[in-house]
Amino acid sequence: MDTLATSPSDVAVEPDRIRAIPQGKVGVWWFLASEIMIFGGLIGSFILIRLAHGGWHAEADHVHWRIGALNTLVLLTSSLTMAWACDAVKERDQRALKTFLFLTMLLGLTFLGIKAFEYSWEISDGFTPATNLFFAFYFTLTGLHACHVLGGIVANTLLWLCAVRGRRWPMIQHRVEFAGLYWHFVDIVWIFLFPLVYLS
Amino acid sequence: MPELDENLRAARRADFRVWEYLLLLLVAGLVVFAAPIPKMGIVALIFAAAVAKAGLVVRNYMHLRHEHLLLYLIAFVPVLLFVGLTLTLLPDIALRQ
Amino acid sequence: MMTTAGASLTSVTEEHYAEPSFWRQYVFSTDHKTIAKQYLALALFWSVVGGLTAHIVRWQLAWPAGTRLGHRLLTPDAYNAMVTMHGTIMVFFVAMPLLLGAFGNFCIPLMIGARDMAFPRLNMLSVWTFFLSSLVLLASFFVPGGAAASGWTAYAPLSSVPAYTAAVLGQDLWILAVALEFASFLMGGINFLTTPLTLRAPGMSLWRLPLLVWYEACASLLFLLSVGPLVAGAVMLLLDRLVGTGFYLPARGGDPLLWEHLFWFFGHPEVYVVALPGFGIMLEILPVFARKPIFGYRTIVISVLTAAGLSLIVWAHHMFVSGMDPRLAAPFSVTTILISVPFVIIVFAMVATLWGGAISLETPMLFALGGLASFILGGVTGIFLGSETTDIYLHATYFVVAHFHYTMFPVTFFAGFAGLYYWYPKMFGRMMNERLGKLHFWLTFILFNAVFIPLFVVGLAGTPRRVYAPAAYELFKPLQHFQVAATVATLLLLASQLPFVANFLLSMVRGRRAEKNPWRANTLEWTVESPPPHGNFAAPPVVRHGPYEYSVPGSRVDWMAQDQRFEPAQAAGGG
Repeated sequence: MDTLATSPSDVAVEPDRIRAIPQGKVGVWWFLASEIMIFGGLIGSFILIRLAHGGWHAEADHVHWRIGALNTLVLLTSSLTMAWACDAVKERDQRALKTFLFLTMLLGLTFLGIKAFEYSWEISDGFTPATNLFFAFYFTLTGLHACHVLGGIVANTLLWLCAVRGRRWPMIQHRVEFAGLYWHFVDIVWIFLFPLVYLS
Repeated sequence: MPELDENLRAARRADFRVWEYLLLLLVAGLVVFAAPIPKMGIVALIFAAAVAKAGLVVRNYMHLRHEHLLLYLIAFVPVLLFVGLTLTLLPDIALRQ
Repeated sequence: MMTTAGASLTSVTEEHYAEPSFWRQYVFSTDHKTIAKQYLALALFWSVVGGLTAHIVRWQLAWPAGTRLGHRLLTPDAYNAMVTMHGTIMVFFVAMPLLLGAFGNFCIPLMIGARDMAFPRLNMLSVWTFFLSSLVLLASFFVPGGAAASGWTAYAPLSSVPAYTAAVLGQDLWILAVALEFASFLMGGINFLTTPLTLRAPGMSLWRLPLLVWYEACASLLFLLSVGPLVAGAVMLLLDRLVGTGFYLPARGGDPLLWEHLFWFFGHPEVYVVALPGFGIMLEILPVFARKPIFGYRTIVISVLTAAGLSLIVWAHHMFVSGMDPRLAAPFSVTTILISVPFVIIVFAMVATLWGGAISLETPMLFALGGLASFILGGVTGIFLGSETTDIYLHATYFVVAHFHYTMFPVTFFAGFAGLYYWYPKMFGRMMNERLGKLHFWLTFILFNAVFIPLFVVGLAGTPRRVYAPAAYELFKPLQHFQVAATVATLLLLASQLPFVANFLLSMVRGRRAEKNPWRANTLEWTVESPPPHGNFAAPPVVRHGPYEYSVPGSRVDWMAQDQRFEPAQAAGGG
């Protein structure tokens, strides 16, 4: 054992495979881990309180599952375009990168637009966060998620601007991948939110 | 250059195929939602579909299938943790009344 | 230029190490050493404020308002605010910036042989977020209604209904400040967790890492994993207060216990987030001042990882009398008693490290030993609280207060002072005055015990905590002289920090200039100048062995820096 005073080792150790992982990728995954805990805490609280109240089926009838399904489709497709953007940046295809980043932004904005329309419909129907506990959770869960979507759109827009100007071209390869990881994470949260909120 | 295009087209096709599966699972979930089976069954099947969708995105779009074990751990330990937290609180919060 | 494999495109370029302007060097710095000092300055500022809140609380307990010596203006609401802010400040604004922000940022890159953290700009963002959070918390003292008054634990519905305390705006600001603090340490945590994984110097395997690096990373991991649900809970709390949702209100269908669970799921790991770096500091200092290797390095690492894992499943021992499902009590008692096992292993390893060593009692060593001794007492008293049967009697008495001060104070202040005296030469390039340091230690150690041993006594007798005037109750009147004794000791304890303040400030301008390695220690930070230059190392050091090779038989000197080769005693040419 080289930490005991019996035989001080004079040999340098080979670099391990962990050191070969790009540090930005490790950093993004740690960030996602913390976000998993945040959303997990909120989702877990929702599940627990919902079970305590027998399922809230009557309250849940007032959300519009067709709109939720449409939004799910929008977000899933945006994950596809984001994946295509990552493929493009790996092969240094600048035109494709710009196109797919732009499409991802557009789909993200579409998601937010549909959400805004949905919120205004529900509020005008008289359902606000203060109406009942189901809607308190509904607005909090989807609202927090929407904030994360907005953050992702901002990040993607900045990358798209970099790609458009052609500047720092080699540097943005990793950053597109990291933005992709974040965007897919936001998609996955919605993949679970949709059935939890709309389909139960 | 043609070789690069070939790689790119193969990657894009693979990603598109994943999207097709995601769409399939979404539609399947909606069909189950409308199906005349007991509520518990619906919930279980829809949840399974969600897990499958998430798994597809994580393994393919987020490339976890090619990554070091460390990143798997970073991704899945929190999931286990908050699932554990929710299960632990079931007797106290969920099953009170 | 970094040549290690895996250098990300987001890493710093050569421009980073050219001479920057005043603003970039001292205010908007991305250098981990400067960021560490910024965290240190904020922590020291808040420790003064936290100490003042302690003074006010203790004064009220010894000489209640309305009596001859009592504070005339201290209402019960204001007292609750002082108690709340004391806890909040000490845990979130002193312990964390000192142990994690200052020592973690300063030591980790140096100890692993890196030029800086993995994400220097994120690091700068984290300290500025902490600064912003400090401003928000400070502001909460001065808004109408005063600072938050629902305890550092902010139990609902006292905290979720604005009408229940005077601090309407103050509680909102508290939530915001704590949320910003969480964001700051999450950002810092990403650096602390990535840097030791990816930026280690050649030859620095994970099993050759200094224990402080393991402990800081472990603490950051614990924080990252446990804070999420509380962030969710805090969002719900804020919505309850501002929007009228009913997450924690039974009348609206909510559950106040949900808040308690979410809070303590984080709250318990949080105390280990604070304790672990403190232990790490002690573990660095003991071998140096005993001139002996650490006993059981791998065992210590495995023990701390086990303790960290266990700490995530013990939280409900804070809730034995909360009205939660009683069936949860027994499992949590079991896990809580279990967690003492890895900690005892670590303590035994520390004692074994000292056994047979050539111990020299310089100030860092005194503080490390004093901290270890006090922590042992604190840990032992925790066993009574971890078992639900005894906890039913002791919960919310001063026994709990004494227990957690016997654990938190040693790891924050004893270990913190130990670290400051030890790394001051490296941070500031000067030596501190040894006699003032010893005076500071003995006064602090004796007076700290003088404050909290009486609190064990009054707690065992049943005195409840967070009560404005226990002396108003016949049952506790006979204990009043213990309260007075504790208060007098508190005032003296606060005063006895003055030698440290004088020493800290004066040494910076008048202290003896420090050499590279005044303590003859092995870890890599002692191989560079005091203070280290931008970029730390001219070239990445090559690590040849573990960090605790002291008194190696047959070696020429009794220490061996991690990048040094073994030198036999009979080398030609002598020392």
